[in-house]
Parts: sequence; C-alpha cells; structure tokens
Amino acid sequence: MSIMSYNGAAIMAMRGKDCVAIAADRRFGVQAQTVSMDFQKIFEIGPTLYVGLPGLATDVQTIAQKLKFRTNLYELRENRKMKPKTFLSVVSNLLYERRFGPYFVEPVVAGLDPNTSEPFIASLDLIGCPMITEDFVVSGTCSEQMYGMCESLWEPDMSPDDLFETISQALLNAVDRDAVSGWGAIVHIIEKDKVTTKTLKARMD
Amino acid sequence: MKTLGHMINSRFGSHLFDLLSSCRKNFHILSKQPKISVNIGQMDTVEEYQHGGPKQAYFNPYAFNGGTVLAVAGEDFSVVASDTRLSEGFSIFTRDNPKTYNLTSNTVLGCTGFHGDALTLTKVLEARLKMYEHEHHKPMSTKAIAAMLSTILYYKRFFPYYVNNILGGLDEEGKGCVYSFDPVGSYERESFRAGGTASSMLQPLLDNQIGFKNQIGVDQTPLTKEKAIFLVKDVFTSAAERDIYTGDQLIINVITKDGTRTEYFPLRRD
Amino acid sequence: MALADACNFSQSFSNFAAIPTALGPQDGLSDFQNALQSSENFTIPQNYDPVRDMKTLVDGDKDVKIEFDHGTTTLAFKFKHGVIVAVDSRATAGPYIASQTVKKVIEINPYLLGTMAGGAADCSYWERVLAKQCRIHELRNKERISVAAASKLLANIVYNYKGMGLSMGTMICGWDKRGPGLYYVDSDGTRLTNDMFSVGSGSTYAYGVLDSGYNYDMSVEDAYQLGERAIYHATHRDAYSGGTVNMYHMKETGWIKVSANNVLDLHYKYAEEKKQ
Repeated sequence: MSIMSYNGAAIMAMRGKDCVAIAADRRFGVQAQTVSMDFQKIFEIGPTLYVGLPGLATDVQTIAQKLKFRTNLYELRENRKMKPKTFLSVVSNLLYERRFGPYFVEPVVAGLDPNTSEPFIASLDLIGCPMITEDFVVSGTCSEQMYGMCESLWEPDMSPDDLFETISQALLNAVDRDAVSGWGAIVHIIEKDKVTTKTLKARMD
Repeated sequence: MKTLGHMINSRFGSHLFDLLSSCRKNFHILSKQPKISVNIGQMDTVEEYQHGGPKQAYFNPYAFNGGTVLAVAGEDFSVVASDTRLSEGFSIFTRDNPKTYNLTSNTVLGCTGFHGDALTLTKVLEARLKMYEHEHHKPMSTKAIAAMLSTILYYKRFFPYYVNNILGGLDEEGKGCVYSFDPVGSYERESFRAGGTASSMLQPLLDNQIGFKNQIGVDQTPLTKEKAIFLVKDVFTSAAERDIYTGDQLIINVITKDGTRTEYFPLRRD
Repeated sequence: MALADACNFSQSFSNFAAIPTALGPQDGLSDFQNALQSSENFTIPQNYDPVRDMKTLVDGDKDVKIEFDHGTTTLAFKFKHGVIVAVDSRATAGPYIASQTVKKVIEINPYLLGTMAGGAADCSYWERVLAKQCRIHELRNKERISVAAASKLLANIVYNYKGMGLSMGTMICGWDKRGPGLYYVDSDGTRLTNDMFSVGSGSTYAYGVLDSGYNYDMSVEDAYQLGERAIYHATHRDAYSGGTVNMYHMKETGWIKVSANNVLDLHYKYAEEKKQ
C-alpha cells in the first residue's frame, strides 16, 4: 500500500466566473479503519486564499503550520496580502526543500488575486512541481474518479451556485467509488467579498 | 510523482540492458570470482558477482493492452460500447480494434485486458455457442451465456484469462440486461457498468447520471435510448482526455428486439 | 438412468475422487478440449505452481495485475427463533469500489444459506458445486442433507485445493432435524460450529456490536435490529465494507429474506434516533 493512501483523502478545486471553489472529503483513517469524520484538510491562508492538503495526515498538519508561518512572515515583512501565484511558489519551495525525503502531500491551491480578484487554481506534486490550470485540479486517493467526474461536469464561466452544485456532485460521486475517502465533504465557494462554506450530506460507509 | 516524459523507452531499453548484463554474468560465472557469498539457511550458497547477482528469467504469459468497455441497460434495449485502441506500454499497436464481440443477435460481449486471452476466450465462447445452437435449435439466452462464461472463466482459476468482461443484451422478457465479470468468473447482473482502464473515470459519472446517486428530490425518469447513447459518447470523450489507453474511435452497439445496430464516433487520437 | 444422467451421478463422484490428479500436468491440446466440453477439470500449464506463479500477478507492481474482489463484513448467529444472517454488499479491487450491490448471501436451497467472504468467484463457484451435491444427496437418500454434512462436504472439497490459493471464508446456515445449524468453513479447511460468527475485514466491529446486544432468548424483532446494526457499524468504520445491509432469517420452514436497507438511509435513521 502506498503511503499516499495510508490515511485517504480527496480534494478538488474548480474555477467559475469571478469565483473559485475548493472541496474536500472529511475522513481520517488508518488504512481500512475510519478514525474520525471531521478531519480538516482545507486550510485558510488568506481571506480569499485556501490550500487543500491530501496525503499523509501527519504531513498535512505539519505543512499547514509551516505554510501559515511562511505566509504570516511574508505579510508582516511586505505589509500586503499574498497573491495566490506567490503562495504557489511558497508551497513549491517548501516541498522542494525536502526533495530527497519528501512530505507525502500533493497540495491544491485555490483563491482569488487580492488586487484583481482573478480566479486562480493550481496543484503540486509531492516534491513541488506546480501546475496551474484554467478549469479544475484534483488530488488524492481517487484522482481518477475525480478526473472522470470533473471532465464531464465542468463547464466554463459557472456562477457561484452552479459551481457549488458541480463541485459537490463531482466530489461526492468520486469518493463513493473510493474505499478510503469520503465520510462527509466540505465545500468552500470563494467570491470577491465572501466565502461560503457548506458541509455536504454524504454516504457514511 | 509526476514525470515529464520518459528519458528512455523503458520497455525496449530494459530488455537491452538485460541482455548486456546477462552476457557479463556469464563471463563471471566462467571466471568464478565471487565478491560476496550469501548463505541462505540450509540451502545452496548463492554467489553475488560484481555486476549484480544471478537472475532467473521467467516467461511472462500475460501482457496488458488497455482499452475501455461500457454497457448500459434500458427498459427494452442495451448499449455496449468500447474504444478501438490497442496498445502496450507507451505505444499503440492499432487504432482500429473494437473490444466488443457480437455473440448472438441479442448479446454483445465487451472484453478488455490481455488481447491474446480476449481472442482465445471469444473463440471458445463462439464454439460453445455454436454447439449449443446445434444441440438445442435455438440461440443461447443472455442469462445462460453469462452463467456459461462464469464457469469458463473459473475453470482457469489457477491460470486465469487476464480479461475484464462485460456482457450486454436482452433477457428472456426482452428487457435490457448487463452482466459484469471479474477475471475468474464472479458475476453480477447490473443496469450499467464500465470496465477496463478508464472504468474508474466512467463509473462514478454513470452512478450519478443513470443511477441518480447523490441526487435528492430529482424525478428519476427511465433512461431512453437517445440519452444512453449521448451519455456513452460523453463519458468516452472525457475518458479519452485523461486515459492514454482509451481513444481513437468509439464503437457503440445498440441491441433491441430488432437486432444489433452499430454506430461509430470519433475520439481523440493522441 | 435419465435422472442419473441429468444429475451427473457417476461423473460427479468419480470427478471429486480424482481432483488431485485433475490438477496434474496436462498438454495444451486437452486443455482446449476441456474448455470446449463443460468439463470440471481445471486448466493448468505444465510445471505450474498456482501460488508461486500467480504471486506476481496478484501482488506485483506491474501493469499486468489482477485485483480480486476482497473485503467484507458478514455475520450469522443462532438464537431461539432460528439463525440470522446479515451481510454488507461491497466489492473492492484495491481501494476502488468495484460494486456496491453484491449478493453475499448465496441461496443454496430453501433450507441452506451460504455467505461470501474472500474471493467472490471462489465462494460463488464452490457453493454452487455444494448446491449440486446437496441436491444429489436429496435424490439419493430421499431426505434433506443436514447442515453438518453440507458444511463438511464443502470443507472437504476446498481441502483438496489447499495451498493452491483459494480464498474463502463462509458460513453455512440452515435448519435440519437437529434444529438451526451454523458452521464456519474456510479455504484452509477449517470447519467450526458455534452460536455466532462474523467473517471479513469488518468482522471485529460487527462482533463488538453483537456481543453487547446478543442474547439467545431474544425476540425476532430484536434479533433483526441487532443483525442490521452490527453490519451497519462495521460498514461505518471499515473502509472495505458498505453498500446495503442484506438480512435473512432461517426458520424451521426455510429461510426468508428480511430486509435490504441502504447504509445511507440507515445512517441518517440511526442519527435521528440518537438525537431523541
């Protein structure tokens, strides 16, 4: 069994019209055993910037703390909010520092530019290779299932409501075909001046 | 880990390397210059030589040729579809090899995995169907074919056919039916099923769109033939975007009481 | 004569006696012939060790890989009013959920039920063979086979294949002259009888619930509740169990199917009850 699927996770982000969405499952498990169903995998970095961390749970929490530390330091020094693209570089650098003994996390970044409100989504591999896309990114134990769902459901310029429906359906149906992720889901819809967070009713098996 | 292309063609590259290293090994076996001796329990002493230890080469009776099949059952029809790409590793053998086999006028088999086993299996099936027809003066029903396929697969339990089978057709009442199999013959009747390399991409979407999973308060209208064909094209187009083993062309067999109609639809060719 | 033919009388018995030789080396020609006739011989190449040579296929890291369906929670318990059999319905291939609608209770005949855990094909095939043998027993002896005999028949069959990689953990449940019967049979050849068994990756969770609520003299309704809950809790905690909870009740008059409830509905029903 791969260490990337030791705890199980599924995270995806999607781009809409003037908004982005990021969603994750809520399971924390140890291989087959489900331990908790309210595990945090998406972390707030700024008012309109979120990062999702699927992978080994211990590394997820370590990385979340390290990223918070580095963004705080940046904001104190620069006295301005970090752009998503800059944040992507921070994540990439952090991961590449452990090139030969990596953190087992493949992050997803979603947010709006603090100045222009331009939507931004990206994902990285576990050693920090960044990938910025215009449609959606997925990461986690059921990435194939998520790709299948997103590839069919996603369309350009969705409104926040449509985006919520699309990302929810994409995530829920993907994790329902994966044994080690699911057990509830959480969705953040990020708009210019508000972030809506919803938890979804899901299969609990 | 993401990789950006491969530096060498792993398949042929490694074969060449095996050849070279086996030459070197032979040389050292002749000159008998052991570097390290490892004693494994009571067994013979295994000697390790300067350029790697001795290697036992096995014949691998299987290959993996990729491909995706999909079957959907409706009230009075069935759709069995597959892509037509046949590949191994990173190379494509042919862009025109359908993975669906018309067994009778109202049963179609979708078969992916190792093409050699798929050919043998369909050959055996064809012969068994002919024998049945001569004996009973009627074609075999889809249900009976499913049961027979299960035992044919299980008789090779200890040296399996490396194939994923999905059978689509009409049952005795004229209703659409789909049977899915694992490589050693465990089977189940379902109403829709994807198999092969992109099955994990197709299946969740089918659960959602045909099985109405995670849709609360939606009126569950029965699936029409047109919607089924539309969905099949849609999911295969999506799969071809992400799965390197799926693409080139889609073949769709629509089975109704009037027989089987075949339709083609282009997919990505890269 | 006709009946004997229909039942494969002579053939089936000589075949079972000949199982070990049927697995010996064969040439390719007869292999193909076996596939054409509905023979009960298994096709194996020469000098082939199923466990050794299938290892790379099953455990390997290669492209060529067979992932058998695994992972299950099944349970059965005897009580005053018979035997309760409850199972989940999930089949997984690695972490991928291959199916949520597997029938893991095999209806051998109106007085015998078998459960499936381990290799799905192994269980369904050999319990089908068992069904045939049980029918033959009935025709020969003019009475139903006992649960003890049926389970021993299965244990003996799979014992012939010991070490060849079969994987099954099954419970044979029934009702005969001696009353309710419950036997555990697995592919190692183990055969046990007791009041309560649970088999599969989620069995520990199921045992936890069963042990806390089980009483031999419990009512039928309580037994149904207990069986369903035990499977539900197992599906909740075990990643490789889920789908629907299928439940059967073995009575003196034969088995009945009690319920088939989706875990999705059960979860929110139980959550609602907890609030009150």
